[in-house]
Amino acid sequence: MVYQKPLPKPNADDRFFWEGCKEHKLLFQKCLDCGLVRWPPSIICPNCHSNATEVIEVAGRGKIYTYAVYHQAYHPGFEKDLPYVTAVIELDGGPHFLSNLIDCEPDEVKCDMPVEIVWEDITKEFSLPKFKLVR
Amino acid sequence: MNLKDKYAIVGLGYTPQGRVPDRTASSFHVEAISNAIKDAGLEKKDIDGLICYRHFPSLGGEPDVTPYLVAQQIGLAPKAMSQEANCARSQLLNALGWLEAGLCNYVVISYAHNPLSGGRFFGEGTDNYTKAVFGQFGATSGYAMAARRAMHTFNTGPETWKYIAVGQRKWANLNPIAMMHDRTMTFQNYYDSRWVVEPLRLFDNCLVSDGGRACVVTSVERARELRHPVVSIMGIGQHNPSCEIEQATHMAGPTGAKISGMTAMEMAGITLDDIDACEIYDCFTYTVEITLQDYGFFNPGEGEDWFKDGTIEPGGRMPVNTSGGQLSEAYYMGLTQLTEATMQLMGRCGERQLGPKTNTKTPEIILCSDNGGILQTHSTTILRRL
Repeated sequence: MVYQKPLPKPNADDRFFWEGCKEHKLLFQKCLDCGLVRWPPSIICPNCHSNATEVIEVAGRGKIYTYAVYHQAYHPGFEKDLPYVTAVIELDGGPHFLSNLIDCEPDEVKCDMPVEIVWEDITKEFSLPKFKLVR
Repeated sequence: MNLKDKYAIVGLGYTPQGRVPDRTASSFHVEAISNAIKDAGLEKKDIDGLICYRHFPSLGGEPDVTPYLVAQQIGLAPKAMSQEANCARSQLLNALGWLEAGLCNYVVISYAHNPLSGGRFFGEGTDNYTKAVFGQFGATSGYAMAARRAMHTFNTGPETWKYIAVGQRKWANLNPIAMMHDRTMTFQNYYDSRWVVEPLRLFDNCLVSDGGRACVVTSVERARELRHPVVSIMGIGQHNPSCEIEQATHMAGPTGAKISGMTAMEMAGITLDDIDACEIYDCFTYTVEITLQDYGFFNPGEGEDWFKDGTIEPGGRMPVNTSGGQLSEAYYMGLTQLTEATMQLMGRCGERQLGPKTNTKTPEIILCSDNGGILQTHSTTILRRL
C-alpha cells in the first residue's frame, strides 16, 4: 500500500539524521567545544558558535516533556489514526525531539513518563523514530 | 531617548467582518486603510509610511498580497514600507522608528485576510516535514503542548480557561460587530465544545475571520490637531524567545511577556496598579492566562482564583478583551487589541464602553499584548488618553 502521510525531504543540514534513521540509529550533532547536543541541526553550535562537530548516537530512551492529543486531522493521511498523540521527548543525553507516542491510550499518557524508541519503516528509503511507554 | 507619550494612534479602520464571502484579502486591506485615513480626518496624500501585518499566502487565485500591491491599490508610494512576514510583532516599533527618525509623519498599519471564506484554517505548517511526518500541524497543537506542560507545572487547565472563554463572550454579546454577538456561552457550553487538539477545545481556540483592520500613527503634536481625543503610546516593549515550541523550555512561562511587559511598564513609568483594562492577544485561552501571569497579575497557578467571580467580565475589576477579543469578536492579529484599546480610550465603544455603562472604571490606561509563532514573539503596548 502506498504510504499516505508526508515524507521527509532531507537537506544538507539534516541528511545525516535521516540516513541514521534508515539504520535505526538516532543521531545528533554534538559540539566538540562546549558539548551541547543540538536539534534542529545546524552548521554551528547555537551556544558557543563553534563549528567543530561530531555526530553521536543516543540510546532512544527518555521521558515525555509534553504531548498533544489530536482529535482532528489536518492532513488526510492521519484521519485513520485519530485520536493520535504527538509528544516532545526529553531524550537521555539528547535534545527535545518531536515524535509520536504509539501503542498507548491517550488517557494514560502523562508528562514525565519514561519512554523508549520504536522504529517504523515507512518506505524503503525512510524510517521514523517513534516512542512507546516503558511498561 | 524615552518615547513615552510622544506618539499617538489617531485613526482606526474597520471593514465588514466575520464570514464575508467573495472578497479578496487585498480588498480588505484597501478598505481598512482608507477607513483609517478618513477616521483620522486625514487625506491619502498625508500618509508616508505603510506597514502590512503578517503577509499570508494568498487564496483563491488572488495575486500575492504584498505590501507593494496594497500600496499600489491605495495609490501610495510610501517613504517607508515594511515587508515583514509571518509572526514578527514589530509593526508599532517600526512605525515609531520611522516617525522618530523623521522619515515619516503619518504611518498606517494594516492587517487583512480572507481565510474563513477562502478555506484556510489553522492547518498551516504542512511544509515543515520534521513536524509533518509525525502529524504535527498548525498552531493549536503547539499551544496544546504548551498548555499541557503548564498543567503539569502549576495549577491550570479547563477549569481556569472556561472563565476566559465565557468572560470574553460576555463582552462580545455587547459588541454588535462581534462574530459571536448573538451567541451566549455558559460554562457547560464550554465543556461541551469538542476537542480540537487536547487539552484545547474548540472554545479555547480563536475565531477565523475574513476582514481587515488598520490604524494611523503620528506624533502627539499632530494628534492634537486632529478630530479624536489623543490616545498616546505610553510604553512599548518586545521580547522574542524565538525557539520552536518543540525545543522550548518556556512553555509554562516565563514567556516573552515577562521581559516585554517589564520593558513597556518601565518606559511608561507605571506599575500594574495603574492599568485600568487589558487587551490581551488571545489566539487561545491559555495564551491569555500565561500572558497575564507573566505580566505579574497573579502567581503561577493562581489564575483560577484570579479569574473567577467575573474579574475580566463587564462589571469586573480588571476588564480583559472588551470587544470579545479574538476568541469572540474577530481575529485581526494584534490589531484586534490595539484598535479596541484605542476605541475604549476615545470613548467610542457604545454598549461595551468601559465606565459607568459597564460598571467598570473609566479607563485612562490600557495595556495591550501581541504574541506570535507558538509563544515565540511577544510585544506589549501601553496606551493612555492624554
